[in-house]
Amino acid sequence: MGVEVLALVYRNLRARPIRSILTLLGIVVSTASMVLFLSFGEGLRKALGAELSNVGPAILVLPEGVEAISPGYPELRPDTLRQIQSVAAELGITQVIPTATFARGGFDPSSSFIFQGLPQGFGPKDLYPNIQLESGSPTPGVAGAVVGGGIAQRNNLSLGKTLRLSPHVSLKVVGVLQKTGGITDSFVFVPIKSVQAVLNTENYTSILVSIDPGRRAEEVARGLKEKIAGVEAQTAGDVLRFAERAVRISDLVRFGISLVALVVGGLLVANTVMMSVYERIREFGLMRALGAKRDFIFGLVLLEALLLGVVGGMLGLVLGQAASGLVNWYTGREVGIALSAVTFRLASFSLLVAVVLGLLAGFLPARTASRLKVVEALGRV
Amino acid sequence: MLEAINLHKRYHQGEIDVVAVDHFSYRFPAGLTAIVGPSGSGKTTLLNLLAGFDVPSEGEVRLDTTPLSTLSEDGRSEVRLKHMGFVFQQWNLIPTLTALENVAFPMMLAGVGLKERTARAAHLLQAVGLGQRGKHLPSKLSGGEQQRVAIARALALNPPILFADEPTGNLDSVSGALVVDLLLQQAQEGRTVVLVTHDLELARKAERILHLKDGRLLRVEEMAREATPPTAREPV
Repeated sequence: MGVEVLALVYRNLRARPIRSILTLLGIVVSTASMVLFLSFGEGLRKALGAELSNVGPAILVLPEGVEAISPGYPELRPDTLRQIQSVAAELGITQVIPTATFARGGFDPSSSFIFQGLPQGFGPKDLYPNIQLESGSPTPGVAGAVVGGGIAQRNNLSLGKTLRLSPHVSLKVVGVLQKTGGITDSFVFVPIKSVQAVLNTENYTSILVSIDPGRRAEEVARGLKEKIAGVEAQTAGDVLRFAERAVRISDLVRFGISLVALVVGGLLVANTVMMSVYERIREFGLMRALGAKRDFIFGLVLLEALLLGVVGGMLGLVLGQAASGLVNWYTGREVGIALSAVTFRLASFSLLVAVVLGLLAGFLPARTASRLKVVEALGRV
Repeated sequence: MLEAINLHKRYHQGEIDVVAVDHFSYRFPAGLTAIVGPSGSGKTTLLNLLAGFDVPSEGEVRLDTTPLSTLSEDGRSEVRLKHMGFVFQQWNLIPTLTALENVAFPMMLAGVGLKERTARAAHLLQAVGLGQRGKHLPSKLSGGEQQRVAIARALALNPPILFADEPTGNLDSVSGALVVDLLLQQAQEGRTVVLVTHDLELARKAERILHLKDGRLLRVEEMAREATPPTAREPV
């Protein structure tokens, strides 16, 4: 390809600046909206991965039929805990931590609390080893609460303040954790008995199991499921796989929505390039008369559409990234979580889509231009 | 050698057949050959067929031994690129390319390297008296300058055949004379120059004139050089 071809493509787009800019804007906006939509899925993946990497125990035991990321009402009976403890030595289980969880909140995530009940002597660091204490005690003790950094900041909870779980159960803040930017920022770690009292049960929501470093989590989980009836034993990998499935489905839905914008962007390019072809019929006729083959004309027109697609895609990516930053600033301020992430994978996919969009949009105009008859194109009939 | 053998072209206009070129035969020798005739005599259609822009209904155009009508569109494009140069009355230059890039364009199509084609394009522009205008877009050039750029471009790949269709049609007399001189110069250098014009005065500068009427070759007028009166003979 010669510099003359690049000059032709560039100068032709520059010769009609308003039309070129408007077309470019169409692609920029459609690409940016796709980037933003899909960045939510990437953000979710990233957040889940980060959260799970912070979880200490290797296995989460839940009642059968309950999904890992949505523990519900406590259904695991004390019998189950005893059964796990009885097979601990055989399966290489080193620690068993029953938990009871309940959430209180509303539509506004910033006012939501997740109370996680832990047995006497255990603290948040036993569940999330990377968590750091800001002040006070690392464990809730008998009637205390260790609050997450985010929740403490939003609700102005400091040491000594009182937290009411129900009309009959109140706890004193005995510890405050550092902010992590993760889900634990919204957690309040309390004695398990308090949660069970609020929910009027002796059951547990989940049982966290740590294993001997020499054991494989998947094998221990399988052993638990075989030996104890009515439980799910999930490893971090299981949770991730389940989450990945859910995120992928939502990715498809969001991609479907952004496809509408992409189609509109593609039609804009097709329209612009087709108009350009009709305006330049004599020019293409002249090129053919001078000896240009059909492929040359086809490539020339396609290159114009491709250039619009690539430049629009790149600018759309930048705009999408900026919008994603804005979303993260807002969700970070409100709930302490970065909801959106523009990963390398997403950036590459978006550029690829923009390139394919340019090629598809340019195909028909390019075909039209390359099939013009020289005599007709030159007006020599 | 360019040769038209029993060339015939008819168009369908509704239910009527219009004959644009009627069994035209002629072997074009080197030198300047003018094709003249009134409007509608088939001059442009004949040039379209000779250049391979269009295919005849009957007969054929041969370049050396190759019949153009047996080639594909791309095949005829390649023949034009390597063997023919063109100067049209208008729409001669690509508007978004500079004069230098316009001249370099056929060389780019032929795969000549950037450095070589840029140098040759500059040399050709110099030869047609436009050495200082290489960076100008066609819109910044006068009609005469545009025609001279077109001549420089037509010579880019040193083709043996040059077609000029009313090359002075839109020019003032001074610019027209410059263009004609350049075409005559190419004919004197041994190229086959085919000039289509309705301007008899311009045609008389050719070595021979083909008179066309209703698509038929009426006669071939051999122009004697140096004060020799023109002679007429029958078509081949």
